[in-house]
Amino acid sequence: MSVLPMKRIVICALRKDRKQVLELLQRQGVLEIRSSLSDDEVFSRQDKSRMAATFRKSAEACEQALTVLDEHAPEESGLLSMLDGRKPLSTAEYEERLRTADEAVRTAKEINSLQKRCSDVRAEIPRTESQLVAIRPWIGYDLPLDFSGTKAAAVFAGTLPGELTQEQIEAALAEYAPGLDDMEVNLISAAPEQTCLCVICGRKHEAELRDALRRMNFAKPPVASENPEQALRDLESRMAELQAEAGELAEQIRGFAGKRDALRFASDYYTMRADKYDVISGLVQSRLTVIIEGYAEARCAESLERALTSRYELVFETQEPAEEEEVPVALRNGGFAAPVESVVESYSLPGRHEFDPSVLVSVFYYFLFGLMLSDAGYGIIMTIGCAYALLKKKSMEPAMKKTMKMFLYCGISTTFWGFMFGSFFGDAVNVIASTFFGRPDVRLPALWFEQIDDPMKMLVFCFVVGIIHMFVGLGAKAWGYLRSGQPLDAVYDVLFWYLLVGGSIGYLLTLPMMSQMLGVKTLSASVGTVAGTAALIGLAGIILTGGRESGSWFKRILKGLYAAYGITGWLSDILSYSRLLALGLATGVIAQVFNKMGSMVAEGAGIIGAVIFIVIFLIGHVLNLAINALGAYVHTNRLEYVEFFGKFYDGGGRAFEPFAQNTKYFKIKEEI
Amino acid sequence: MASMGIFFALAGAACAALMAGIGSAIGVGKAGQAAAGVVTEDPAKFSKVLILQLLPGTQGIYGLLIAFITLTQIGIMGGDANLSAVKGLLYFAACMPMAFVGLISAIQQANAAVSAIALVSKKPDQFGKSMIFPAMVETYAILALLVSILSIFGIAGLAV
Repeated sequence: MSVLPMKRIVICALRKDRKQVLELLQRQGVLEIRSSLSDDEVFSRQDKSRMAATFRKSAEACEQALTVLDEHAPEESGLLSMLDGRKPLSTAEYEERLRTADEAVRTAKEINSLQKRCSDVRAEIPRTESQLVAIRPWIGYDLPLDFSGTKAAAVFAGTLPGELTQEQIEAALAEYAPGLDDMEVNLISAAPEQTCLCVICGRKHEAELRDALRRMNFAKPPVASENPEQALRDLESRMAELQAEAGELAEQIRGFAGKRDALRFASDYYTMRADKYDVISGLVQSRLTVIIEGYAEARCAESLERALTSRYELVFETQEPAEEEEVPVALRNGGFAAPVESVVESYSLPGRHEFDPSVLVSVFYYFLFGLMLSDAGYGIIMTIGCAYALLKKKSMEPAMKKTMKMFLYCGISTTFWGFMFGSFFGDAVNVIASTFFGRPDVRLPALWFEQIDDPMKMLVFCFVVGIIHMFVGLGAKAWGYLRSGQPLDAVYDVLFWYLLVGGSIGYLLTLPMMSQMLGVKTLSASVGTVAGTAALIGLAGIILTGGRESGSWFKRILKGLYAAYGITGWLSDILSYSRLLALGLATGVIAQVFNKMGSMVAEGAGIIGAVIFIVIFLIGHVLNLAINALGAYVHTNRLEYVEFFGKFYDGGGRAFEPFAQNTKYFKIKEEI
Repeated sequence: MASMGIFFALAGAACAALMAGIGSAIGVGKAGQAAAGVVTEDPAKFSKVLILQLLPGTQGIYGLLIAFITLTQIGIMGGDANLSAVKGLLYFAACMPMAFVGLISAIQQANAAVSAIALVSKKPDQFGKSMIFPAMVETYAILALLVSILSIFGIAGLAV
């Protein structure tokens, strides 16, 4: 239920056992290794980063090969397979597989080089294709394209922009080179983008013709020494070759599909080895010994000591961390609160002297999420879906399991609120009963009231929820002060605020205008006096103590006034809870829209109508569930982070990162 | 003039759906471009950036919600569609907060979402925080939605 107590561990082992000890630690995954000792004449660090880099490279090669295999021979996987956790391996199996690792890396390199060739070939194909496109208009021209003429005649083969006829070309040439009488224009092909032609003239007019052609934007053809038809045939056969080669390479790669498992193992194995060498680089070692320092959870320290001392000759020391040390933080909670640890973690872990707010967060998390989604149908879907996944996939990773559990609880809460507000796929019960069975009187009664009928009541309820949520947050702040022995701060920063905010709310409710607007009973004048007095005491207290860290009274009062200005923050925080109403209504109303659309089509259309109704119903509600579950998730987080944590929680703790198997596919189990 | 009531009310409903919808379309589009950019580099971040992309999409839904409530209240979705001109104008006014705040907040939320997507692409572990920045903007769309909803429900009971 709290931040786990950590112990400082110092292990002094023999250097010959270094590998085994580290491997055991890695498999146990309970010790975060952090060396604080500095080098001296006996102990020094060894730089193993080169080795680590080599191993990482091997692991990357395997990963790359796996991606290649996924591209050429995709693996079939079930819908729920993404929930599968890493595959467990016993130590014996692990030892067994060790021998395959080197070969797997060779295989990976082979696959990668095949893939490189394959992609080279594939890149060549469009290049050849574009050459083919360039040569095609020249079919019918029976000279090599770079043929420039004979002794007596000059030949110009090339293209002119645009689609031109023989007459147009001749006319243009006659205009640019009026003296040319011995030329011949051969039109080879004409297309809207270019005209291919060959012009022949006597050598003596060569310069003149070249000039004329240049002025017409004449361009040289794609160079090819053979004649176009030969070139075309060559290119076509090259193309066929390339395609065959690409196919064959892909086939070869596909042949390695059976090696996936070995590649995965090798990837994990080399990642682990690289991690290990990174750790070794940080350890101080003498000629015969090595010192491993770090942190472990207090409850694991003993079993770790037993495991190590029973196997190796070493000194194992457990110390209480010093007060000023930055001890890593790990949270541990019961089944109900554990799922929201990730929510706390993604805000920030508790800092030094702070307590773990997970339990408080969890209660409100499920409550608020359910209130926002508030539809029994959706809640049941979420509950069943998560429960099914949890039961079906035992091997799920712990983090995934927590998320699933979180949404399971959220689903239960959603179902609860759905029945409270009489919403089951919106007003599906009523719509189906009246459309298909002619019974508009049948409806799912709300256990409490329907949000849509009385939004004002719902709004007031939301504000009440908000005030409770934030008062609990404020209470948590007081608890934090009391824990660290600062009861006076609890009075100044918490009790005064309780008085001010609580008193103000009480006083406002005695005003008929306010209570009528909110639709609640007006409180009597005597309550108003008490509440008003409480609020004034709170206000005075805050003004006097809000700036208590300042020395001079003038500064202190000014700061106190500024602190009291924080009441505006409370106003906006309370209003912020109106999102509970807005999102709740959004779910309900959009569900109604889809139901209405379905029933409008289905009205009196018999069986076909029913089928269309079902289709619209399914698509509509899946969409609505997805969008509103997202909305509920985001805004629950917001209320927890901004409104709730804003009252008491700073965070800033460093996460506990034990030296463990950070693998992707396998986890090696070992009993100690 | 008597028959103008229904016109004003419908115009209001249409504005809410139109403007909030336009805002969300622009917003989701913007965020989508940023998200697609991240996925080209790292396909594994798809689910995270998708959530961020969808955040500016809610305004369009709120607009639809207001439009729908208005349509049912004024009797266009079946029922008596007789409305005085004043009442019609009241409905029109009631739809305006959602229309305008929806349009602008969706676009501004998209700007925050684009930055949040950039944040997630560099620091995937900060996803929880990155989600909060765009969600801050949405608060104002929610407040506008609330004002619109409360007004529309309130107008039904007025004798004008």
